[in-house]
Amino acid sequence: MMNISDSLLKRFGKTYKDQDIIFCEYEPGDTCYLINSGKVQIVKIMGDIEKTIDVLEPGEIFGEMAILEEAPRSASAIALGKVEALEFNRENFQILMQGNPQIALKLLKLFTKRIYDQKRRFMILTLEEIDAKIADVFLMLGEKEPPHPADSDEVEINATIDDIAHWAGLPPAECRKVIEHFQRQQRIDIKQNKIIIHNMNDFTRYVNSKRKQLDNN
Amino acid sequence: MSPKSITYKPNSIIYFKGDIADRIFILNNGKVSLNYINIETGQELHEFIKTGEFFGVKSALGRYPREETALVLLDSNVIAFTIDEFEQLVSKNTRVIIKMLKVFSNQLRRIHKQVQNLLYKDDQINSETGLYRIGLYYFKSKKYSQALYVFHRYLVYYPSGKYSEDVTTHIHTAEDYLQKYGQGKGPVVTINDTPQEVDKPQKSRELSGIGKEYYNGINLMGEEKYEEASEVFKKIIQSNVDEEYSLKSRFEIGKCLYYMNNYDHCIKMFTVLLQKYPKHPDLSEALFFIAQSHQKKGNNDRAVSIYRKVLSLTPETDSIYRRAMKELRELERK
Repeated sequence: MMNISDSLLKRFGKTYKDQDIIFCEYEPGDTCYLINSGKVQIVKIMGDIEKTIDVLEPGEIFGEMAILEEAPRSASAIALGKVEALEFNRENFQILMQGNPQIALKLLKLFTKRIYDQKRRFMILTLEEIDAKIADVFLMLGEKEPPHPADSDEVEINATIDDIAHWAGLPPAECRKVIEHFQRQQRIDIKQNKIIIHNMNDFTRYVNSKRKQLDNN
Repeated sequence: MSPKSITYKPNSIIYFKGDIADRIFILNNGKVSLNYINIETGQELHEFIKTGEFFGVKSALGRYPREETALVLLDSNVIAFTIDEFEQLVSKNTRVIIKMLKVFSNQLRRIHKQVQNLLYKDDQINSETGLYRIGLYYFKSKKYSQALYVFHRYLVYYPSGKYSEDVTTHIHTAEDYLQKYGQGKGPVVTINDTPQEVDKPQKSRELSGIGKEYYNGINLMGEEKYEEASEVFKKIIQSNVDEEYSLKSRFEIGKCLYYMNNYDHCIKMFTVLLQKYPKHPDLSEALFFIAQSHQKKGNNDRAVSIYRKVLSLTPETDSIYRRAMKELRELERK
């Protein structure tokens, strides 16, 4: 449970039953949420699979892009068990922030993280070659994994080919071709829900050289 | 520990790009430049920090490496905060946080837009189709309540959208399945996700109006307002615009009559309907209501023979089969 005052809960609180959709991908959004109790699952439908992107706990904020722009939701939020959350929008979020520096600070931290993630993604997308983009997605996902044992350069990333295609902004079929080629070269191993990268340094050098070429042009 | 005051000579570096970010600074006096590469143009940019301004905030709070190098240009004095000290300081001054929030939200909005512009175009299917497909996904996975949420939202945003007629039909089916089979159960749904009647927009729009009317009637039934619902269905039949909806409406009127305890009319309605359409897709359900009406009237023998007919016509997996079986057993026990 978060330490949220009753008056705030009364004014902004909303409750959801287990499996309720709080908002749905592609729905226009103008509200943002702070979880007070319960868990929220963030999912995206990719083809015929519902993929869990994240499971959020009390104290976490979601739907924050809606405060910035009225874009369609990029994923769905679903209640896991009973959920109590504060719902706010562009008009009232300043009021909420003013009286609650802790919440404001949380949002500030979330924005710094999102800016970083978006910049990182931008770097991937500006690479020209498809295989460089895919290699850079490996690097990005590898950066998120805990540091591996010093004597090994092997990194395991939790992603499917469709995930990689999504991050690299590529059609899945095209992405699959390149990734399978990497496998034939024995640089990676494709498992069910993960990809094992045998030598991450190899990909790092490759991406760096491609990026340098871009800078020199 | 408390915030530290540090003095730098010109040309010294407060931090390098790539350094671990564990401090946040305020420029007390002097001149500091942040040197970074613009990721769009690859150009090196210099941003001068104003006296009293924070710097190094983003990477420290986001816990990622420094993205720029902080170079001292003139004799300078800065105050260095740990992340905890910074949080304590700003917690007492929400105004500062809100100011930073504005700066960061502008940056986030901008970079987000740039990323969107670079994405693979097919990845950006339009929101209307996207929403419809998500509804279909839940419908096909037999998550009826989620499907209903999404379909209802669809009708709110796109009341005369290209899928609105399909959505209205799906809502009816999903509600039906939810009631008959329950969440997670029921027959396999196969639906193409291309809209019906795309090449006939005029008819499609008209139909969608009828569809909405029909859906309105179904909603009224859900609220047990059978009289009002019957009126809605009667109007649909009278308008005679779409045969499919007229047929469906007759069927629903039959059900309304049953729920209003008007058994004779219910029997008549369904009998006429089945005479006219002996291959009606909901034949078993119609027969089931006829049997129920006979049963309510005390005509148990009639009811039993019709329940038997229902069983012979209905697959065992259908909920109507189970319901008919249950009624039969109870009647036979008597």
